[in-house]
Amino acid sequence: MTWRTVLGLLVAAVIVTIGSAVWLLGRRPVQSFGSETTVLSPPMPAADFALESADGPVMLRDLRGRHVVLFFGYTFCPDVCPLTMQRLDRALDLLGEDADRVQVVMITVDPERDTASRMRQYVSQFDPSFLGLSGTEEAVHRVATDYGIFHAKVEREDGGPYTMDHTATVLVLTDTGALVLLWPHGMEAETMAADLHTLLGG
Amino acid sequence: MKRIVIAGSAVAVGLVTLLPAGFALLRPVTVLPRIELAPGYDLVDQNGRRFTSEDARGTITLYSFAYTGCPMPCDAVFDVMRGVQAALDTVDTGGLAVRLVTIGIDHRRDSPGALTELAARWGANPALWTFASGDSVRLLRTVRNGFGVFYEGMPDSTYRFSPAFILVDGVGIVRGDYRIGVPRAEDLVDGIARIAREARAEGVAHVMYEAAHFFACYSE
Repeated sequence: MTWRTVLGLLVAAVIVTIGSAVWLLGRRPVQSFGSETTVLSPPMPAADFALESADGPVMLRDLRGRHVVLFFGYTFCPDVCPLTMQRLDRALDLLGEDADRVQVVMITVDPERDTASRMRQYVSQFDPSFLGLSGTEEAVHRVATDYGIFHAKVEREDGGPYTMDHTATVLVLTDTGALVLLWPHGMEAETMAADLHTLLGG
Repeated sequence: MKRIVIAGSAVAVGLVTLLPAGFALLRPVTVLPRIELAPGYDLVDQNGRRFTSEDARGTITLYSFAYTGCPMPCDAVFDVMRGVQAALDTVDTGGLAVRLVTIGIDHRRDSPGALTELAARWGANPALWTFASGDSVRLLRTVRNGFGVFYEGMPDSTYRFSPAFILVDGVGIVRGDYRIGVPRAEDLVDGIARIAREARAEGVAHVMYEAAHFFACYSE
């Protein structure tokens, strides 16, 4: 075998390898997610947290085995939160039986007013399977910071109850607790459902 | 027939082995790694206006940390930031906005007025380079807990801290964490350019960038 033959085979192997990689990756589910979805491939480890539900303490690790859809909001929220929760409820409806493999979690950014029982009452209006979490101000701040969520109290000039400014990004974690998708505010339920369907291997 | 099956199997196994190895070795595309989510924060800028992590969303942001009256190592930090600011004109970001942010870690001295003076002293272009600070609790949560940059107040009113430069993409993911010594401005600019190229990639180019993440083809 001459060196030319060896070189030729090497070049062919390289071309085949790169071509196959592009072809295979092109078929990866990465391409099937919504155009506004940020896909983290490989998924990033997500920070664990310890918060309170109406039924007692909850850590992220307790939710292993289900994909977690994580949203930060508050129960006095006038528009962004109810809209997002409605769309998440609709997305789970569209998922059908696969919805059992997904856990929607809403963490309050307003622990001063949102107790764990108030959170349960609020999220249950949208879907009884949704989990509402609260905690001490420090615990909530810690988890919000870890997940890149800004939040701040805004006093109203008319003396009415304060509101909260907050990041409305929705985060999706795999069933092993790794961050895999980011949805910007305003994502349609159909896109959420399609993304979850892809993630679940549908 | 048996030979064909064996040969076919060998080729298939070879390809499966070669795919990751070939891509990782040849590294046709390199990227900055996706390290972690950048923290959410709520601070006040040099104009006295609220400055939050949402203001940085959608822009490639380079963070640094310093404080008013800091002797060392802040001069080196500001030199690098000024170098990055000057070099940004030469970087094609394809229309993606870039922002420089210096967070003042001294809640007592880093008032908006003091930060304005600091910005002027170092020739900061206000449209590009933001100075921000906040109360002690916010700073602790943002800088120490969020960005993981250690700082500690000393009895003589100075702070003990190590310079850190943190590069965050438009989605809010930390893509570069430079805290061993002081990096060169050109390395930070190169990081910004890489993030911009990746963000603009579409079609096959986008797939190649994702493959680079998948096979951990990280730039040096």
